[in-house]
Formats: sequence, structure tokens, C-alpha cells
Amino acid sequence: MPESELGARGPLPIRLEVNGEERGGDVEARTTLADFLRDQLGLTGTHLGCEHGVCGACTVLLDSLPTRSCLVLAASADGCRVETVEGLARDGQLSRLQRAMWDSHSFQCGFCTPGFLIQATALLAENPTPTEAEVRHALSGNLCRCTGYESIVRGVLAACAGPERSGAESK
Amino acid sequence: MRPRVPAERYTGASVRRVEDERLLTGRGTFVADAHLPGMLHAAFHRSPLPHARIVAVNTEAARRAPGVVAVFDGAEMTQMASPVAALGAAPGSGGPVSFGILAMDKVRLVGDPVALVVAESRALAEDACELIVVEYEELAPVVTVEQALDPSLPAIFEELGGNRLFGPEVKVFGDVDGAFARADRVVRASIHQHRHQNVPMEGRAILASFDASSGQLLVRASTQGVNTTRQMLAQQLRMPLDRVRVVAEDVGGSFGLKFGASREEAACCAASRALGQPVRWVEDRWENLTVSGQAREESFEVEAAVTASGLILGLRVQMVIDSGAYPGFAPLVVDIVREMIPGPYRLGALSFSSSGVVTNKASYVAYRGPWAAETFVRERIVDLVAQELGISALEVRLRNLATRDEPPLRMVTGPSLAGITARESLLRAAEIVDLARFQERQLRLRDEGRYLGVGFATYIEPAPGPRQEGGEGNTEQVRVELDRDGLLLVHTAQMPHGQSHRTTLAQVAADEFGARLEQVRVMVGDSQQTPEGFGTGGSRFAAMAGGAALHGARRLRGKVLEAAAQILDLAPTDLDIWRGELVGPGVPGGGLPLAELISRIDLAARSGQLPPGVDVDLTATEDFDGGESGWSGGTHCCVVEVDPDTGLVRILRYLVVEDCGDLINPAVVDGQIRGGVAQGVGAVLLERSAYDPEGQYLSATLMDYLLPTALDVPHIEIEHLSPVRLDPDVNFRGVGEGGMIAAPPTICNAIADALSPFGAKVLEQHLPPARILELIGATSA
Repeated sequence: MPESELGARGPLPIRLEVNGEERGGDVEARTTLADFLRDQLGLTGTHLGCEHGVCGACTVLLDSLPTRSCLVLAASADGCRVETVEGLARDGQLSRLQRAMWDSHSFQCGFCTPGFLIQATALLAENPTPTEAEVRHALSGNLCRCTGYESIVRGVLAACAGPERSGAESK
Repeated sequence: MRPRVPAERYTGASVRRVEDERLLTGRGTFVADAHLPGMLHAAFHRSPLPHARIVAVNTEAARRAPGVVAVFDGAEMTQMASPVAALGAAPGSGGPVSFGILAMDKVRLVGDPVALVVAESRALAEDACELIVVEYEELAPVVTVEQALDPSLPAIFEELGGNRLFGPEVKVFGDVDGAFARADRVVRASIHQHRHQNVPMEGRAILASFDASSGQLLVRASTQGVNTTRQMLAQQLRMPLDRVRVVAEDVGGSFGLKFGASREEAACCAASRALGQPVRWVEDRWENLTVSGQAREESFEVEAAVTASGLILGLRVQMVIDSGAYPGFAPLVVDIVREMIPGPYRLGALSFSSSGVVTNKASYVAYRGPWAAETFVRERIVDLVAQELGISALEVRLRNLATRDEPPLRMVTGPSLAGITARESLLRAAEIVDLARFQERQLRLRDEGRYLGVGFATYIEPAPGPRQEGGEGNTEQVRVELDRDGLLLVHTAQMPHGQSHRTTLAQVAADEFGARLEQVRVMVGDSQQTPEGFGTGGSRFAAMAGGAALHGARRLRGKVLEAAAQILDLAPTDLDIWRGELVGPGVPGGGLPLAELISRIDLAARSGQLPPGVDVDLTATEDFDGGESGWSGGTHCCVVEVDPDTGLVRILRYLVVEDCGDLINPAVVDGQIRGGVAQGVGAVLLERSAYDPEGQYLSATLMDYLLPTALDVPHIEIEHLSPVRLDPDVNFRGVGEGGMIAAPPTICNAIADALSPFGAKVLEQHLPPARILELIGATSA
């Protein structure tokens, strides 16, 4: 189909669950999930660092899988369950991972932070006691230009250290 | 007064960052997160050619495209904003060079902005950009320094009469000819530092909002300093300074890129003023990598006059810097490189020649430790001298490093070396890495076909550097005030973009004033409130802003105690402020909260109960130049293994022994060091801003411009040396740049050591696997 005809198609209505709430909107066919979350739902915690799927800043959980929201069309997320960085804290309480990263001085400028938090949340859901090598591997698709990663890796490991581990933030 | 034991102080403790709760919950506010009613979106039509004359720009179709509000080409923009005047044109040339905010007569690099489209959405603005048709007359591209010096190629700026921007300018320090006459040997090398770049995770961005009724331009910027951005925008828009207000909230990294205002940012402000509506531009990664700016790319011809025992008597250096298309920062860099190249060494003589050229590549910008080439060249030459003389590199360093107890106590170029601990850092690094044992292992493994290497680099970093004798006051200003709620407001021109200033400045002020940390608010990023100062850069924060905050808090504390003593009829010496309360024998209830104290001072002042002369203006402004201690520095040490079959380099150990004075927040300091080293790892093993011979940019995505990941950056061991405290009060020093200054030569020296059995000579900084294989193959074939 020629581009002009694609563009001429009207807005597409979508409905999805975002951070536990039913949300909806009308999107253009070309609107990415990231732009929909940021521009239409006002969830600006999901950041766009490259818009070609490399930096990982825009990572969200799409039906529990960490996903680059800059590479997913909003229309294709219709009916899906999305979790963003805004959904990690519950009832005003930071998740265990968020607290551990705060304690560990994990971040500096904070731009890459949402993607790392989501990626690490997904890792801990799948593997609650990763080794350092496993953490580094799991986070190797997320770019941070400030920290040299060591503080981030330490933060993730701190989140799964100690006896009081609860599954509260990993689902 | 209560004893202030370290355990009771915030300074020196890794207190959690006040920045983090927002950033960890997705509530940071970067420019792309800001919205204003009626906000329009900008996109730029950019040149696909590196060098061409513009014959015609046709924007008709773009103007008629859906959602488009306005299109501005270079000629129209010239009516709306002044051209940019560049620094550093050669004396005697037709310069100085100036250029439009949008390209007009010609384009000078791939990505040069030719037209600005303003539309109702970013997508519509980008759609319309594709409808703009530009007719070009192509010119031969000038891509390399050699091409820039070739008079048969066209001048990028006709008024320069060629592509030499400045130089050669030669400066001589000490008896250079004498040094070379006395030398047993002259070691020669051509050393090159390749082009790489900042790549902050948030690129450049601006939201400009002109209010026609007040005539005021409000700008939300991603900047390292609101004052500098305001000055540049006001100048380019020909507006009085007081009509421009620049605010900044969260800034997603910069590393030197975001000073002042870029051409694109000025264009968006001009568009907002013309349209009377807010205009936002957020650059995409292609724009960031292609045109925001690139750094380094400097080449050096070096001759070292050395004795048989490894003393370096003198250096002759010729430096050429490639400033890219639009000159700006490069001429400033060569002056610092020249001054800093002796580093912490007792070098007795230096001849330094510097030249700059323009090429059809992205403009040269500051990048973390912009003058770092001096450390790279010096530390590489030291190793080459060691290699030629057959002495260990450690020994050559030790023979040449300055010591604190014997002259000369200054660099041959002038600056005092008082308080440096370079020699101590080197000895300690060699001890920790257990050099003798490593070298045994290295030899043993070579027999098994494994190639390990160790490298050192020793450096000093002006942070902010020694006090300039008789120099103009180069200071940082901080204003400390108590507000009615008992909060201690600390206003600074520093603009944190990852450095945690909101936490660390609060630690210093809280301790000095006697406040609780949560009572302190560090106020940044609003030109209406921000004191004097150009912003965050040059490792000025810790010593200069930290010192100004300390002195400001001290003076304000004195004022509060004096007023309190009057009200309570007690001696000021019996009073103290501690954890946010006035305390001391005789204070009602044993402690008076600050908010209550302030309202009592206010009431007493207004009802005339205070004697004249008691200062009840609860504000203190202090300027501070960094004090007596000016140098940070240290030694980095790296152990690598090079795989001779694949060319892959694995970092087995990375160690930093450093001295940045007293630590305000050790976790913040370590984060700055590790982040800098990571950029050095990238610079050597991965990152290169690559152009093809036609001047097309080859590294325009993050799949081509490779940043280090969590798998590339090793664990970085850090040891802090105990500093020499020369100042009575302020012995904090900056630490932002050292990691990136020292890591590239350290890693290159380690790789060179690993490759020594192959007879390979490492004369460049970028050593990806393909280059390693070339270095091995070129000599063993």
C-alpha cells in the first residue's frame, strides 16, 4: 500500500492495561507505544534515548516481557498489559529494587534509569538470585553514559541480598 | 561549641542522593517531558552533503503540508537572529569567521541545518522536512588535516583564505636547545588521538516560549549553565538580557556538550518569538551523533630529549587540532594542552607549536577533560622512552616525577605544583598491582601463547588548579539564605547533570551551618535566581562552589547566632546551631527550631527590639576561588590480555589511586571516577566518530557508534590517598574529569605492553580488534 494511503487511514482506537489501570486512546498507525505512553497518557518516565532500539531507556514490560517501547507500535499493543517505571512503587512505597538502587548510588543523571529499573525488575522476576555475571549480562542491552555500570550492578545485587527477600516487586 | 566529630558530619559520608527519589520513580523532568499549552514542535531539514554551495531552497510544499505552522530557511533566519561569531580565526587571515544560525550560502558538514519546520507534532514537522528541496552545487569535501592544509581544495570559509584556522604558534619554555644538546638520545613519535564524542543519553533539547505581552522569552534548556545559555541566546536574538529567562530541571548528561546555546536551540527561540507560541525541539540520536559536536582528533609530532638513565630533559611538540566545520572551542583547548603537558613531571624545557584547521566534519566541542591529549601524549611518550632505553616504564616515571620537597615546585609552563601527590599515587598503584609478581606471570604466560600487559598513567587535573598569582578573580559565587520555614537555601550557578550537586552542596552547607540535611535546598537552574557563574564544568564544583557554600553558611550562621544572642540576652559564644535547632545553656526548652528562631528575629527587628548594627538580613553571598589546594590527580593502572587471534582486548584489572582532596560524598566521587574510566574504555576499545573519504558520517546510530556496556566495563578498584591540606578550610577538589583523562593512556600503555613481543608500536588511541590485528600482523609478517 502506498504511504499516502497508510497515512490517510483514520486513528485507531486501542485499549490496554497500564500499571494496573484500564487505559485507552486513539492512535495513528505510526504512533509508537513509547510516544503513546508519553504524549497521550502523560507517563513521561519512559525515556527515549535513541529511538532505534539500542539504548534501552524506553524499556517497559509488555505482558511481563521487557520490551523496547520505541520499536513497538501502540496499535500492536492493543489488549496488552504494560508496566512502566511509574508502576514500580506501590502505595507510595518504593520497590525493593528502587530502594536498593537508591542506597547503592546506582545512577547519576537519571535519564537511563527507567529502562534499567524495568530490565532489572524483569530479571529478578525470572531469577531472584542472579550472580554478578548474570546481572551484567541481563543489563548489557541498556546503555548508561554516566556510571560505568558498577553501581547499577551493585544495586541489583543488593536488591536480592539478605534474608528478607519478598516477592512484592517481582511478579 | 559542640565537638563536631566526623561521625556526626554529613561531609565525608556517602549519604543517599536527594535527587534519586524522583528519578527512580519516573518523575524526573527532562525537556522532552515538559509541555506548554499551544506548544509546537520543531524539526530541521539538514544537508546530506558535507560541502556544497546552496543554489536554491524550495520550501513551498513543506509550508502547505498538514500541520505545518511555519518554515524558516537560512535567509529568513538571518532576519530573526544574529550570526554566530566564532573564536580563533588566524591572525592575519580575513576572519574572524561568522556563520548563520541556519546554513545560508553553503553547507559545511553532513547534517548542517538548512531549514526549520515548526508544526503541530514532531511527526508532522519531520514529514514536512522531507518535502523541502534544496539545490546544491557540490564542492570537494575537506575531511582530513592533510586535506585542510592542501591549498588546491576549496576553503570552507572563504574569508579564511584556506582551511587553516590558526597557527602555527610556537611558545618556548626553558632552554630547549640546551636540553636537546645535552641529550643522550632523542625519542621521536607521531601520536594521534582519534575523534570521539560525548553522547549523553539525553541529547540537546529546548522548549522556547516567547510571551508577546511581556516581551519575555522563557526557555527551558538542557544545559550545563543557565547564565551562559541566557547570555548567548540574548546576544543571538538581539534581546536585552533581562528579557530572557533560562530555567533547567533535570539534564540527562552532557560531558561538555551542552554549554551556551547551539545554533538549533537559538533557531527555536527565534521561531517562538516570531510565532508567539512555545516551540520545542528534542534532537534525535542521529542528530546528536552527526551534528551536536565531536571531540578530540588531535595529532602530535613529539621529540623527547632523554638521558641514558631515562631523564626527560625537554620536549618539542607540534600539535594540530581538527576543529571540524564551525570553529568554537578548539582554539581554547590548545592553550590548556600546552600549559598542562608537563603534568606532574620535572620537565625542564618545552617547545610547543599549535595549529588548527577546519574540515567538513562535526564541530569540535568540549568533552570531559577537553585537554586530555596532554596526558595521553606525555604518558605514551614516557612508555616509548622506557621501551627505547630498555628501562621499566615505572622507573622512567619515578625518575621524572616531581617531588614535593625538592624544586622545581612548578611546571616549566608556570603553574605551581604545590600539594600534588602524583609520586605517592604511582608507588601505591605499583604496590597494589604487585608489579614484580605480575611481570613474572606475564613472562610465564607468554610461553603459553597468552599476551598480558600492564600500563600506568600518572596525571594531575586542575580542579580548579592553583590560585593564579595576580590573576583576575576566577571565582564561583554562592548565596545562602534562610527562608521563613527555616529552610537553608543554597543558590549556585552550578547546573548538575549527574554530578549530584543537590546532595553534595547540601552536605557541606548543612555541616557548616548546623542544619539537618533535609532542611537544606540546593537551588539551581533559574537565571532569575542563580548567582554569577558560568555553570558546571572544569571540575570547579567541589573546591569553588563547595568552598563558597562553606564560607556563606559560616557567615550566615554567625549572623543568626548574633541576632539570637540579642533576643535571648545570651552570649553568642554560648550558642550553637545543631541539627537545625538553636541550642546552648539558657535556650528556652533546651532547643529552638530554626523556623521559630527566624520568626522571633523577624518580630524583634520589626518592633525595634534589636540594637542598631545587628544584621537581620539572613542572607550571605560569598565568592570563592578554590583556595590553596588546586590539583586533583593520581595514577591509573590497567592489566589487559590481548588475544592475538581475534584482536580482542580483555581488561583483567583496573585500578585507580587518586587524590581529590577531602571527599564530600565518597559514593559520588567513586561514581565520577568510574564513569570517566568507562568513557576511556569506550574511547580506546570501541568509540570512533568515523567519516568516509567523501565526508559522509559513518557512526550515526548507536549500532555504529559503540558505547561500552555492562559487559565491557570492568570492576574498577579505587583507593583514595590522604591529601595534602594547604587551605585552612576548603580542601575539596573536583573529580569529574580525571577518569576520562587518565584511562585512555593507561589502557593503551597496557595494550602496548602486551603487544611488545610483537615489536608493535602503539601511536594511536583507538585500538579495536581490527587495529590490534594490524599492529600484530604489520610487524610479524
